[in-house]
Amino acid sequence: MENVEERVGSAKLTLVGKLFHHLGMFFMTRTLGQQVCLFFRAIASIFSKTRSFKTDSRNVILQTFFTGVEIFPILFIVATLFGAVVIVEVMTLMGKMGFDDVVGSLVVVVIIRELGPILTAFLIAGRSGSSLTTYVGSMVINSEVDALATMGVDPIRYLVMPGLIGGSIATLIMTIFFSGSAIGAGFLITKAAIILSGNALNLQLTWDYLSNEILKALTTMDFVLIIIKPLVFGCIITINACYQALDIAHDVRQVPKATSRSVIKSFLYIVCADVVLSLFYFVDYMNNLSNII
Amino acid sequence: MQDEALRIEDLHLTYRGLSGTAFSKPGAFGFFKTTKNDGDNELISGANLSLKRGETLCIGGPSGQGKSALLRVIAGLARPCSGRVFYFGEYIPPERLTALEVAKRQVGLVFQNGALISNLRVRDNIALPLRYHKKGSAAEIEEKINMAMDLMRVRDCANMFPHQLSVGMQKRVAIARSWAMDPMLLLMDEPTAGLDNYNRRNLLPLIDNMRTLFKTSIIIITHDLMMAKELGCNLCFLYRKTLTEPHSFDYWLNANNDISKVLFRDLRNSG
Repeated sequence: MENVEERVGSAKLTLVGKLFHHLGMFFMTRTLGQQVCLFFRAIASIFSKTRSFKTDSRNVILQTFFTGVEIFPILFIVATLFGAVVIVEVMTLMGKMGFDDVVGSLVVVVIIRELGPILTAFLIAGRSGSSLTTYVGSMVINSEVDALATMGVDPIRYLVMPGLIGGSIATLIMTIFFSGSAIGAGFLITKAAIILSGNALNLQLTWDYLSNEILKALTTMDFVLIIIKPLVFGCIITINACYQALDIAHDVRQVPKATSRSVIKSFLYIVCADVVLSLFYFVDYMNNLSNII
Repeated sequence: MQDEALRIEDLHLTYRGLSGTAFSKPGAFGFFKTTKNDGDNELISGANLSLKRGETLCIGGPSGQGKSALLRVIAGLARPCSGRVFYFGEYIPPERLTALEVAKRQVGLVFQNGALISNLRVRDNIALPLRYHKKGSAAEIEEKINMAMDLMRVRDCANMFPHQLSVGMQKRVAIARSWAMDPMLLLMDEPTAGLDNYNRRNLLPLIDNMRTLFKTSIIIITHDLMMAKELGCNLCFLYRKTLTEPHSFDYWLNANNDISKVLFRDLRNSG
């Protein structure tokens, strides 16, 4: 880092200039900063001069299929069982405590707002994020990425960009599927449980009641965030996966390490991003509160 | 100097400059990370090289001397800690010296292991850069691929995947891929290693053709010193961290210096 000091000295930066220089260097030397840079470069590469819609769309569709369709069976089962559990818990607990009118809100909060996007993102990070890291990482090890670059094929455009767009689209679709099947199939499972157990749960559950409650509880913010959240999570997963893979030095042992780093860091970033996005709800809530007062 | 293809001035390369691919880092970032010269860690210290258009140059030397590293530097994959590299008379400053920037100037590199994209068939491997850069219509690209495959005799395995091919075949496909790009400067890392005598003899006229017909400048890294003689090109050696002056094969054969004594002993004895 001595050279940096020299260059700064030679450029005769003022104090403010130095401050911004060090801020920039601090940002650039951190993993997060480099990931943000990678994200912007991937977005920028969509609009490069050599773009061809046909090849790009094919790659993106392949990636979407890979990320989305193949994960669907597992996602469906998880969503269904999870939805059934949430519905049963909410109905029994709230009914017992006399809060029958908040059943819909709770289902919306738990499934649609929070755990739907997060669980989907976790599943996709565990499956597609890790496989993306292994795929790109193996290409780095076999110097295929270097070969791409020496042919003038931008690795970021060829590898990262389809993953980014395909991953985001697939996460969005899968999140909607997750919420849908958690409520729809979860309702059916709950019904089946009620019938099989001879109403031991003591629930009066009908589809009209549940759907009305849920529709009543949905706000405009939910519809906006059900689109924004998965897109953000998808970007986080794919950019993190590609960054960890491209960061591998030429050593085969780094591939499994990078893969586990990719998954764990994706989890971390997803939860952090979720907290940040939830601030919108707080703002919404505060606005409503002031209206009431 | 219009007829100059490549000039290297006082190039220094440390081991640190070799590690890792920089695609995860922001482009200009490596510029700040250049380390100071320290003699012990240097792989190449003070290499100078000049290559004319249409000229072929073989670089030899004992293994482990950084021949491939030098090629990686020229291709923009490794970052030298000091020194200037000129491509066709144009200087690329260090913060922009990346493989993509170098590839824009029509520099091709054939890797030692071929480095084919393993999930694409041979045909698509050759077509990938052509389609990416939109070099002509689909029919033209198809024609070019077929021509490249015919030249390297890999037409029979056009629909195979790289893992189904032998090492020598992979290398031929890699050479075909580089050839199809019409490079102005072609860097070849051990092109004849892993090839049988028949294919080796086929490769040499191809290199010769590229030189005479397309005015391609070629740098070949090789242990096969007879190749320099057969191509009639100059040889230089990377020896003890420096690059020697290029001379003809016969000069090295008869010279009385360390390199000649070590590397040409067998050739001399066999006559």
